[in-house]
Amino acid sequence: MVVMSDLHSLKQELSKNEVEPLLPIEKKLIGWSLGLGIGLLVGLAVLNRLFPFL
Amino acid sequence: MTDTAVVARDASPVELSEDWLAVIVGIGIFALCLLGTLGPDLVGWVVTTSVWTTPDKALAPFSKAYASLSGFGSLLVTYGALLAVLGAAAVSLKTDIRRFAIAFTVVFFLAYGSWIVGNQANLAAVTPADLAKFGLSWSLRLTNEGGYIVALVLGLVIANFFPRFADWLSAAIRPELYIKIAIVIIGASLAVTAVGKLNLASSLLLRGVAAIIEAYLIYWAVVYFVARKWFGFSREWSAPLASGISICGVAAAIATGGAIRARPVVPVLVSSLVVIFAVVEVLVLPLLAQTFLWHEPLVAGAWLGLAVKTDGAALAAGGIADALIVAKAAGEGIHYQLGWILATTATVKVFIDIFIGVWTFILGYVWTNHINKVAGSARARPVEIWQRFPKFILGFLVTFIVGLAIALSIDGSMTTRFNGAVAESNVFRVIFFILTFFSIGVLSDFRKLWQQGLGKLAAVYFVSLFGFVIWVGLLISWLFFAGVKPPTAG
Repeated sequence: MVVMSDLHSLKQELSKNEVEPLLPIEKKLIGWSLGLGIGLLVGLAVLNRLFPFL
Repeated sequence: MTDTAVVARDASPVELSEDWLAVIVGIGIFALCLLGTLGPDLVGWVVTTSVWTTPDKALAPFSKAYASLSGFGSLLVTYGALLAVLGAAAVSLKTDIRRFAIAFTVVFFLAYGSWIVGNQANLAAVTPADLAKFGLSWSLRLTNEGGYIVALVLGLVIANFFPRFADWLSAAIRPELYIKIAIVIIGASLAVTAVGKLNLASSLLLRGVAAIIEAYLIYWAVVYFVARKWFGFSREWSAPLASGISICGVAAAIATGGAIRARPVVPVLVSSLVVIFAVVEVLVLPLLAQTFLWHEPLVAGAWLGLAVKTDGAALAAGGIADALIVAKAAGEGIHYQLGWILATTATVKVFIDIFIGVWTFILGYVWTNHINKVAGSARARPVEIWQRFPKFILGFLVTFIVGLAIALSIDGSMTTRFNGAVAESNVFRVIFFILTFFSIGVLSDFRKLWQQGLGKLAAVYFVSLFGFVIWVGLLISWLFFAGVKPPTAG
């Protein structure tokens, strides 16, 4: 069992100024998720209006 | 808990064992319940709790075949059976069995005691009919799931005011194991719910898809971006946090933590936040829904399914909103049938839940192949994806697919028997949820967590939940559910 004190201090870890820059794959993941999500939602909203009985 | 705020477990070997143990225990419980449909009920002794005003009415065995046990007897048998099964699991996890047995005994009775307290009618009774039945003039209307809140609060009290006692209990404080077992068990129950809901209202299908898109593609991406870019969190923290806020709380945070190989402390901390914020949401959002959305009941139900994280809290909020809105509409002369708002919340939640496995698989793939690549290797081998895959999700998929296949292929009396078996397995799921909520409370020494930087995590959660998730959830619920009304009574 590992106790918290064995890990790096969370406070230090969470408040460190050193920032991991966003990698291209992360930007791609965020971009594709959002793009696909918004596109699909718009498509579903249109379907919902055209075929309200669905 | 000495000077620690949170106790976490060793990395992959124990975590992997916990995953497989969850699969074995969860499927084992489901299989035993299923066997009861063909012959004698083997686990009908499991204890259930009803809403009560006098303590002697609180407990009972699940099956009438075990009525002779009495409520307290079934509680003892349930405790003994869980001690045997989880004791064996503790041995395989190389935990001192004597220490585990003593600690588990205390954990079980404190956690289940909280559940019993949470079922007291002044806390749990929801509808005016319930209040009349129990002869009460008031109730907090928390539903019986308020017992989770009591268990969580008791755990928090122990962690924050009795840290030595919390440390003494630590051998049996295993929220990850408990929630994973619960998730495996819940598969069959969600399958039956999905079949039932689809039969009742197939039009919710399209809207369920919208919920999935919203939670996984839009919420996750935005929260991950906010955590990474605005708050400067590392990838290890941001991914479980985004899943916890976006998808379905504790289970999603743990599954994501496993998929990206975060240290166990990360999803445990995120889970603590998820539970605390879910408790606040359960207390506030149903009242807002009653005030502002009573004329669009299904918008309210869908909104709660999208906004309240953790299944238990979401369904509790849906149940409370159901009662509040139906009562308010009745006051205006519209008599909606009770249960449709809760059904909408449950449907939205089900659709979101069943894709946790797929989403964590995608994240596991991206992390393995592009973010945590093994040095010297251009692309991760497929076997690494498998190694990082949270195995308990396989157990969930097995119970879900088996449950769905059975539910779709039977009818008549077999359906009744099968639904009974699934309800029986769900009683075990509730017990593991109670143990999880209590354990998370015991692991959360908030004074120390705050000192150690939890405030920044809470800030991301607060900004994302109240600045984005709730409002976008409302907008999309409105887009897809506005104008769809529950049937009226009579």
